[in-house]
Amino acid sequence: MMRGSPHSYELLKSIVQLSGASIPLEVKLDRMLQSVSGAFQSDRCLILKPERIEKNGFFSRVVSEKKQLWVEDESSFPKENVLPEEEKLLCPAFACIPLYDETSFEGIFYVGFLRHDRFSPEETVLLLLVGDVLRGAIRNEEFHQKTEETIAKLTVLNEMAQEHERRAKELSTLWELNKALLTTVNFERILHLTLTAITIGEGLKFNRAMLFLVNEKDRVLAGTVAVGPDSAEEAGKIWSSLSQRKGAPSDLITQLSSEDHSTLNSIVKEIQIPLAHEHCILLRTVLEGRPFHTQLPQSKEEGRRTPCERGCHFGTEAGCYVGQHLSRNPNVYSFATVPLIGKGKVIGVILVDNLYNQNPITEEDLHFLSMFANQAGLAIENASLYRNLEEVHQELKETQTFLIHLEKMVALGEMSTSIAHEIKNPLTSIGGFARRLNRIVPEGSQEKKYSETIIKEVSRLERILKDLLSYTRDESLVFRELDLREVLEESLSMVPEEIRSGRIQLVKEFEEEIPKILGDPHQLKQTFFNLINNACQAMKENGVLFLRAHSSPKNGASFLKVEVEDTGKGIDPENLHNIFNPFYSTKESSLGLGLPIVHRIITSHRGQIEVDNHPGKGVKFIITLPSSEKGKGNRVTNS
Amino acid sequence: MKKILVVDDEESIRFLYKEELEEEGYIVDCARNGEEALQKLFAFKPDLVSLDIKMPGMDGLEALKRIREMERQLPIILCSAYGEYKQDLTTWASDAYVVKCADLTNFKSTIRKLLGSS
Repeated sequence: MMRGSPHSYELLKSIVQLSGASIPLEVKLDRMLQSVSGAFQSDRCLILKPERIEKNGFFSRVVSEKKQLWVEDESSFPKENVLPEEEKLLCPAFACIPLYDETSFEGIFYVGFLRHDRFSPEETVLLLLVGDVLRGAIRNEEFHQKTEETIAKLTVLNEMAQEHERRAKELSTLWELNKALLTTVNFERILHLTLTAITIGEGLKFNRAMLFLVNEKDRVLAGTVAVGPDSAEEAGKIWSSLSQRKGAPSDLITQLSSEDHSTLNSIVKEIQIPLAHEHCILLRTVLEGRPFHTQLPQSKEEGRRTPCERGCHFGTEAGCYVGQHLSRNPNVYSFATVPLIGKGKVIGVILVDNLYNQNPITEEDLHFLSMFANQAGLAIENASLYRNLEEVHQELKETQTFLIHLEKMVALGEMSTSIAHEIKNPLTSIGGFARRLNRIVPEGSQEKKYSETIIKEVSRLERILKDLLSYTRDESLVFRELDLREVLEESLSMVPEEIRSGRIQLVKEFEEEIPKILGDPHQLKQTFFNLINNACQAMKENGVLFLRAHSSPKNGASFLKVEVEDTGKGIDPENLHNIFNPFYSTKESSLGLGLPIVHRIITSHRGQIEVDNHPGKGVKFIITLPSSEKGKGNRVTNS
Repeated sequence: MKKILVVDDEESIRFLYKEELEEEGYIVDCARNGEEALQKLFAFKPDLVSLDIKMPGMDGLEALKRIREMERQLPIILCSAYGEYKQDLTTWASDAYVVKCADLTNFKSTIRKLLGSS
């Protein structure tokens, strides 16, 4: 034996134990080498790392030859290629064991002795075994490191995968919401869908959601719709029934979002915050266009810190809309708001809370909610545009219908005009010959009555035609300043004999001074003739016809009032609203177009006509006309 | 005995007017339209012409113009079922505008007036 007899078993045991220990590799190798050195009492015991082996040197040859080198006597050892640095290492006797396996080279295990001696077979084997263990330890370390690196990479990948999964879920929910939103362009429905999705959707599930919209016209932020249970019990019921439902979320959303009659909805619909109240957190969301998030206060102290710059801890001060209306206990109310953005500007706010299960609202939740809000904002904007479009379209349709109607009326007017003219000639012949016959036929005979009847009926037809033609004709007015009393006298003179015969008593009350008016004398004559004639017709047996004219100042301007009153039986109250309607007429007297013509003429004189009707006692027509004298606005608005 | 030319495209109107005016003591001839009226003007040499306005072919206004070119002084009455021609300035070339009516009193008195003054 060479040197101290190494107890091979002890050495191997300690080396193997060391190799399995969880200590850093360098320490491990150090201790292992110490054990070897101690056991063999060597003078040098080390591992030459591959990077420290000089090329073209002595040791590199060992590496390339892949052979162990046992040197018992240096003199027997060829010393070519020994580099100066390597010289120091070489001992008189040494073992040089390259640590190789199939795949890699870990270094040279070198054990050197100062005394020449032979290596016994046991020592050789032992050293080789030690070399194996050393190599194993080094390799293990490498594996271990590689494993750790792999684990680290896997962890990162795993996190990324989770993040992706989360994103995918978000997108999937958005997709479901989108699908649901696509089912309608109805404004209210879209609002409901959005809030329902927020409260039941996968991944959101807020307890309550409320939506406010900006009303530019009234300058308020108005509560529009809200979704959420009224109590914790109700919440619990809803959630448990939801968990039992099957179906795609989009279907669930569309099914569940129907008209919500909950208390919350009614409360929110009442809320109207003036846009001027800039400190209200809802308005700040709108004005600053960003979400707000109030945490559940962990302590009373924290509860007193305010997110609202008005200085109240959200909701206790009177006038705070959030606190006053929405929270149960202002001191512990936590909620989040996100702006609703549609086509470039903020159109509203969504407020969410977890009132019942008190789940914290995370940043992720808010982020997701913002995405939702953007989708919803677009849909809402679209729906409101669509609604406008519908309204405009409806107006256009109505206008179109009206225009068609007008055209028809005009065509009708033209048609009736031409028909009337067609009728006039034959009528003239019939009436003319009837009159001739009337003159020939003996007085008192039956034939006389016949011819008189024909004459009367023809006159009636002529009058109808005349009225029709003057109503449909667009008579241009020729205005001049006149004293209406003259026109009234002329109208009176046109009236048939009933007045002159005295059956009807005439009472004229013309004021001394009446204002002059601007008017077309011909048309006004026709107007008052119609009224006077009607009055006489109404008083078949006898009666009194009142004709009054007097000035009537009003609001600083002067007007002329003319009254035509009779003591006839009056107008049937049922027909009263129709008397100026051109298509109304009674059977008794063809009043037909008389009053509509009167109405038209008075209107074109910027005047007004009123009816004072007393069934059984009589009728009074009151005509008001603006005076031609310059005053402060003589216009009379026609009712 | 004054002579009157009645121009109207309706037969019954011509009939009626002829009967009525002959009863008044006038000599009456009729024409169906403007062209015939011009022809009869030379042949009949009326003292007064009653012109309907709406007629086929040459209408009353055109006939009025033509007659006036030839006879400055001849009394001409425009007689029409239509009232609105009153606004057409051509009608001022006539001596009167009468709206047709079953009661011919106005028509006859206008004729009397026009023939009385000439």
